Amino acid sequence: MVNATKGLFISCDIPMAQFIINYNNTLPPSQQFIIHVLDSTHLFVQPHAAEMIRSAISEFRDQNSYEKPT
Amino acid sequence: MGHGDKGRPNKKLKFSAKEITNLDDEDAYFGGEDIDDDVRDGEGKKRDFTKLELKPDHINRPLWACADGRIFLETFSPLYKQAYDFLIAIAEPVCRPESMHEYNLTPHSLYAAVSVGLETETIISVLNKLSKTKLPKEMIDFIHGSTANYGKVKLVLKKNRYFVESPFPEVLKTLLKDEVISKSRIISEGSRGSDGFTISKTMGEIGAGPSDLLNEAELAAVAEEKETHAFEVDPTQVENVKERCLPNALNYPMLEEYDFRNDTVNPDLDMELKPQAQPRPYQEKSLSKMFGNGRARSGIIVLPCGAGKSLVGVSAASRIRKSCLCLATNAVSVDQWAFQFKLWSTIRDEQICRFTSDSKERFRGNAGVVVTTYNMVAFGGKRSEESEKIIEEIRNREWGLLLMDEVHVVPAQMFRKVISLTKSHCKLGLTATLVREDERITDLNFLIGPKLYEANWLDLVKGGFIANVQCAEVWCPMTKEFFAQYLKKENSKKKQALYVMNPNKFRACEFLIRFHEQQRGDKIIVFADNLFALVEYAMKLRKPMIYGATSHVERTKILEAFKTSRDVNTIFLSKVGDNSIDIPEANVIIQISSHAGSRRQEAQRLGRILRAKGKLQDRMAGGKEEYNAFFYSLVSMDTQEMYYSTKRQQFLIDQGYSFKVITGLPPPDSGPELNYHRLDDQLALLTKVLSAGDEAVGLEQLEEDADDIALHKARRFGGSMSAMSGANGMVYMEYSTGRHKLGKGQMKSKPKDPAKRHHLFKRRFG
Repeated sequence: MVNATKGLFISCDIPMAQFIINYNNTLPPSQQFIIHVLDSTHLFVQPHAAEMIRSAISEFRDQNSYEKPT
Repeated sequence: MGHGDKGRPNKKLKFSAKEITNLDDEDAYFGGEDIDDDVRDGEGKKRDFTKLELKPDHINRPLWACADGRIFLETFSPLYKQAYDFLIAIAEPVCRPESMHEYNLTPHSLYAAVSVGLETETIISVLNKLSKTKLPKEMIDFIHGSTANYGKVKLVLKKNRYFVESPFPEVLKTLLKDEVISKSRIISEGSRGSDGFTISKTMGEIGAGPSDLLNEAELAAVAEEKETHAFEVDPTQVENVKERCLPNALNYPMLEEYDFRNDTVNPDLDMELKPQAQPRPYQEKSLSKMFGNGRARSGIIVLPCGAGKSLVGVSAASRIRKSCLCLATNAVSVDQWAFQFKLWSTIRDEQICRFTSDSKERFRGNAGVVVTTYNMVAFGGKRSEESEKIIEEIRNREWGLLLMDEVHVVPAQMFRKVISLTKSHCKLGLTATLVREDERITDLNFLIGPKLYEANWLDLVKGGFIANVQCAEVWCPMTKEFFAQYLKKENSKKKQALYVMNPNKFRACEFLIRFHEQQRGDKIIVFADNLFALVEYAMKLRKPMIYGATSHVERTKILEAFKTSRDVNTIFLSKVGDNSIDIPEANVIIQISSHAGSRRQEAQRLGRILRAKGKLQDRMAGGKEEYNAFFYSLVSMDTQEMYYSTKRQQFLIDQGYSFKVITGLPPPDSGPELNYHRLDDQLALLTKVLSAGDEAVGLEQLEEDADDIALHKARRFGGSMSAMSGANGMVYMEYSTGRHKLGKGQMKSKPKDPAKRHHLFKRRFG
């Protein structure tokens, strides 16, 4: 029988996929959002997770980028 | 530049506007174009310059002066050279890219200007002549305000006694009202005059200032007999007195000058520059700043690595022709300095001596050059009898010149000690990188003197005096497995090891080594701060390596092989190679790991390859080779390393260097000829990294440079070079991997219990 789930398809590079997977794993099971890891650059996640992932990634990026002090 | 904060919101906006299905992060690493936009926006919002009045012939004038003290110089102007010489004397360079320089007027920089003989009115009139707009009133007031009191007080060392001199007795009276200064005054019996000031006659300034500046700038100074008033101060308090006189206190900054030609008390040293020692134009210029009025001024000269700092030092010594004490950072550079003295000057072998833990030579005759290390002089513990004698001699002697190499690395505390221990007429500090992460640079202003000259790196590159370096940042993506481990909380202490050992980075490094060795026949240095990585890389690639534990004999052997052998073209160095090891043959640097965000380390490492190679005409602009040296910094993407890497580059960027970002190294079609092609190998490497202890994968902790202190084992303590230099201060707290032994630097500088001090020091510090 075919099962249809509504979700969000994410395609990204390898490290970012790892970041999202790791982020998912740090959450308690009830909040985990990854439905399926398709391959190393594609993920299928729950539709509501978009904002959350985006803010997590931008925070992570900010940590790794240097802004010249003024 | 004042707009860094602008970059952030914009970047976020851009990001959120992106398609959700594409979380690819390629463009989120904001490129240069975003920043450019921000700069323009930020300027427009913050300041309005429309009311500044343009002079009718503004096209012919090279600079813009803003009311807040900032000055922008167009480097394509025909007057650039003259304007640059002038600006570098009066203002602090902030950023010097290719076509537009930014400078800042500060009280310190104006102090430096006055001390090289420029007068307030000259500064204003020349600035006005060069400026496209009418000088803002604020700027004129600022110059007046900060220079009004400059040059009125001089500190002079005569016959081993310090005097504060001034032609204006009322200025001296003001100074003596200050508690610190009046306490340090020594009232001698023979003093005359109504106020007890000693009165003497001295020659006024003769032909001061950069006369080659501008024809229109009238810089003539009058030579006249002036009456000077003076009082004596306690030698141990000199530093305090100087500090009290700085702009933030009494605002009578002292100039230190040494009238060496008329010094008949100290014996002359018979040395001259050899005829083949031809100082280059910028070396000549820096010396002319120092000896502008026939006397020697104390100060700091900033030249890039490889631009011939030692020749400047030797020339200064042979112009003063008095005994000279030369201080270097370690035993290796002591040898190099001694060699440089013999190479460039006619000094005889018996007149120069090295004083280190290994060689305790003493010069014969009554004048000579002593080369030693900061540690040797400042060391406070018990010494061997022999070195005690020498140090006593150093202390009692009146030195004509105190030559200090690499002034940026020495902690302020050590400087104080060295300067209070040795009596010198004139102090010259040399450095390439006047930046410190702890911003203690300003201390040098009163410890040594103002910055006399700073060369522009790009001009030296254009002149072919230093190598033209292509700087590149190679972005290596993390592999899946390594990044997964990197993100795990339990591996937080191994983060550095994980991003350094990233197999993609290894492959990029191997690719670059092969390319440069085989295609170009270059000599390559690979730098790794991380000892674990250094050993892994070197072993895997079968290349020689040098790190802290490598014995002196082995080091010499490896370096010799690197210099001469055709088979040894690559060496791996830990941070022992940052400063002192002189390897003129190398022209490629690959940096695989580094000390967090240290701008100085980056600049010093670049300095290893700056010494110009090849024929001069090939190097000049438009010559055969555009670039003849390469500096690669390998960075693992999406890791902390990106942050540090950008921070580290700031100093070089301010000097006008640009970093090219290279992605896609090694090329995608490279296969098993490079290591770690197969996943099994990568996984094996990962296991190795993870199973290594936290300590093993950490930063290398260098033992302190042994020198004399090695004789007393109990006094030895492990510490990194950065701790020695004070760079382990608060700034590095952000590096939270816990491997740093924080606080070490602070501990060392803590003053000792006064009761335990040697009686000689008690008096000085008590």
